[in-house]
Amino acid sequence: MTPVDDPAPSQDLLLFLASTAHDMKNSISVLSGTLERLLVGAGPHPDAAYPQMAQMLYQTRRLNDNLMQLLALYKRVGTPEYPFDVQPIEAAQLLDQVVSLGRVLLDAKGIALEVEGDRDLIWHLDEDLIVGVVSHAVNNAAHYTRDRIRLALREAGGLLEIRVEDNGDGYPQPLLDAGAAGLDGAASGIDFRTNSAGLGLHFSREVARMHRHRGREGSVRLENGGAFGGGCFVLSLP
Amino acid sequence: MNALVSNAPAQTKAEPIDWAGKNYLVVDDFIGVRQLLREALRSLGARNIDQAASGGEAIGLLAKTRYDVVLCDFNLGDGKNGQQVLEEARVRNLLLPSSVWMMVSAEKSVESVMGAAEHQPDAYLVKPITEGVLLTRLNRAWHRKQVFRPIDQAYAEKDYLRAARLCDEQIGASRVHEVELLRMKARLMEKSGEPEKAREAYERVLNQREYQWARAGLAKIRLANGEFEAARQMFQGVIAENRYYIDAYDQLALAWQGMGKLEEACSVLERAARLSPNSVPRQRNLGLVCLKLGNVALAEKAFRKCIAVGEYSVRRTPDAYLGLARVCGLKNDPKEAQALLQAAQRDFSEAHPDIDLRAKITEGLVYHESGDYRRARKAGDELEALLGAREDRPDTETCLEMATLLFAVGVKEAPSELLCYVIRNNHDNAVLLDEVQAIFDKARLTDEGGDLIRSSKKEAADLMNQGVLLWKTGKLQEAVDWMREARARLPNNQRILFNAAQVLVSHMRERGFDEALSLEAHEVLAHVDRLQPGQQRFAQLMEQLAVLAPKAEPETPPAVDTRA
Repeated sequence: MTPVDDPAPSQDLLLFLASTAHDMKNSISVLSGTLERLLVGAGPHPDAAYPQMAQMLYQTRRLNDNLMQLLALYKRVGTPEYPFDVQPIEAAQLLDQVVSLGRVLLDAKGIALEVEGDRDLIWHLDEDLIVGVVSHAVNNAAHYTRDRIRLALREAGGLLEIRVEDNGDGYPQPLLDAGAAGLDGAASGIDFRTNSAGLGLHFSREVARMHRHRGREGSVRLENGGAFGGGCFVLSLP
Repeated sequence: MNALVSNAPAQTKAEPIDWAGKNYLVVDDFIGVRQLLREALRSLGARNIDQAASGGEAIGLLAKTRYDVVLCDFNLGDGKNGQQVLEEARVRNLLLPSSVWMMVSAEKSVESVMGAAEHQPDAYLVKPITEGVLLTRLNRAWHRKQVFRPIDQAYAEKDYLRAARLCDEQIGASRVHEVELLRMKARLMEKSGEPEKAREAYERVLNQREYQWARAGLAKIRLANGEFEAARQMFQGVIAENRYYIDAYDQLALAWQGMGKLEEACSVLERAARLSPNSVPRQRNLGLVCLKLGNVALAEKAFRKCIAVGEYSVRRTPDAYLGLARVCGLKNDPKEAQALLQAAQRDFSEAHPDIDLRAKITEGLVYHESGDYRRARKAGDELEALLGAREDRPDTETCLEMATLLFAVGVKEAPSELLCYVIRNNHDNAVLLDEVQAIFDKARLTDEGGDLIRSSKKEAADLMNQGVLLWKTGKLQEAVDWMREARARLPNNQRILFNAAQVLVSHMRERGFDEALSLEAHEVLAHVDRLQPGQQRFAQLMEQLAVLAPKAEPETPPAVDTRA
C-alpha cells in the first residue's frame, strides 16, 4: 500500500485556498439564486435590463461551474481518492434536475429545450457529478446555440448515452480534436491556462472515466451535426 | 421554453407530496445561505420554516418542534457540526420516524460516501442548492422513507427476520431501491446470525455492479468467521479501489488484530485516522492498540484527539480518559492521571454506572506500573470495598481486568469470587474458561482455580438442566418459575437467558398470549442481545415472539401538529 498524505510544504496554503474557494462558492450561489428570482419575478413584461440580467446569470453560472470544477479537480477527481459515489438513479430524475438547473437561464434567453429519453431507465452513476457535467454542457450550449437545445438520453449497446445538441455553428476544430484526443486516452493538448472551455471538457472526461463497469469506462466526445446540425456533446457511461 | 418540458419535475409512479404543509428547519451559519434555502423552500409552497445559525440553536429548536424536513449544513463553524447535530437528534429521539434529514455541504465529503457513520442522513446535498434539485431529492428521500418505513419499524422492534422478509417483498416492487434493499437485507441477516444469507444478498448486488460496500460486506463475513487472512486480502482490495473507504481500514485493523499482528493493526488505524481524524471510536481503538504495543507517544496523541473530537459528540467515551490516565502513569505523571480519572467519573457516571470500578482499576494499574506498590495495594483494597458495597457486576472484560489487578496487588478472595461469577455466567464458553484459568495460573493458583472453575461450571449447568427437564416434561409454569430463579442467580448467562425466553414463548404458545410474559421475554432477549449481538437464536426467538402478539391496530401516521 502507498503512503498517505505526504506532508507538502504548501499544505496550509492549499487548505486556505480551498476554504476561500468554498466561501466564494457560497457567495456565488447566493448571487445566482437572487438573479434567478429577479428573472422569474420580472414576469411576462420584462424591462430593458432583462437580457443583461440573463447574461449576468450565464456568467455567474460559468463562474460557479469553474469553481466547482477547480475544487473537484483539487480533490483529485479521477483518482481513487475522490469520494466517488455511484448509486442507481432513475433517468427521469437525472433529466429533471438538469432541466430545472437550466430553466431560468434558458427561458430568459428565449431558448427552447427539448428533452427526450426513456424516463424509467435506471443507471448506476454518481448523480452529483453527472448532473454537474450535463448541466454544464447545457449552459455551454445555451451560449452557442441560436434558439434550440436537445437533451437526449438512451441506452445503446450497454452504455447510457446522454446527448446535448444545439443549433449553433458547431464546435471549432481545435475543440473537436481535443475531444478526439481524449477519446484515445492521449493528452488533449488543450492548455487550461488559456482555454476555459478546456477545463470543462477535461473535467467532464475525468468524470466519465471514473464510471467503470466490467472492463469498460465512460467517455465524452464532441461532434458537429446531431438532430439540429450544431454542436453535440455526447457522454457515454457503462 | 419548449412544451415538452414540464415546469416541475414529474412525480414518477407516486402520489404527489404536499410539501406546503410541512414543518422545516434550516441550519446554516451563513445567513445568505439560510435565506437562499428559505426562498427555495417557499417556492415549493412551504410556510413553516424555522432557522438556526448553530448546532446548539438547532438542537434547541429540535427539542421543541417535530420537523418533517431538516436541511442542515455539515460545517457550522465552532461547536457541533451537522453530523453531531444529527446524531444527537437521533439519540435523543427528537425526530419523527418520517422526518427527512438532508445534509448540506460545500463539496462531496468522504464521510458522505463511505457510509460508515452510524447515523446517516436521508440524503446529502452539495451546494449550490437549487429548487429543482432540492425538490427531486426531497421527493426521492420521501418515497424512500415510504418504502423503508415498515422495514425500519420491524428493525426498531428487533424483529430482523420480519424486516428481511419485508425487504424481499419490496425488492420486486421498487426496482430503483433494489440495491439498497439488498444492502439492508444483508445487514439484517448479519444481525440474525445468518451469514450465508447475508453473503447471498451481497453477491446479488455484486452481480449488478462492483459496489465497494458489498465487497467489504463479504469480507466482514469472513472476518466474523475467523478467516482473518482471507478477510485481510479482501479489505486491502477494497482500499486499493477506493482509499477513502475508511470503514475498510477499521475492519482491516480488526483482521490484523485477529492474527495477533498488533503492529500492522496500529499502522492501518493510524492511516485511517490521518484520512478521517474526527471519529471517536477510531481514535479510541488506535489508542488502545498503541497502549497494548507500548507505543506511549502515539497512544497519548490518539486519546487526546479522541477527547477533543468527542467534546460535542454523544459518542464521547470514558475509554479515552482511562486510556490517557494509563499513558500518564507510564510517563510517570500520576497527578494528571488522577485528574483524568476524576474527570471520567464526573462526566460519565450517569451513562456508565461502573465507571467508579473502572477508574479504580486504572488507578491501581497506574500505581502498579509505576512501581508504587503501596498505593497500588490501597487502590486494590478500595476496589474490593466498592465491590462489596454492590450486588451487580460489570461486563466480563471489566471483571477479568479487576481480577487480574486484584491478584497482582495481593488480594486473593475477591478476585476468585469475580472469576467464579464470570464462569457461572459463561459456563459453555471454552475460550473464556481458558482465559480465566490463565489468570489463576498467573496468580499461582492453578489447582485451586481449576477446582473453582469446575464447580462453577457445574452449578450453572445443573441450574439450566433442571429448567430444560421441567420444560420438556410439559411442566411449563414450573419451568417459567425455575428459569426466572436461574436468571436472578446468573443474570448474564446467555444459554440460560435464551432458554428462559424459549420457555416463556412455549408457555404463551400453549396457554395463550400474556402481556406480562411477552414483556418479560422481550426484556430477556434485549439483555442477551446487549451481551452479544448478532446471534441466530435471538432473531428466531424475536420472530416467534412477534407472531404470538395479538394483531396491532393498523398503523396510522401521527397527524398531531407538534409545533410548540
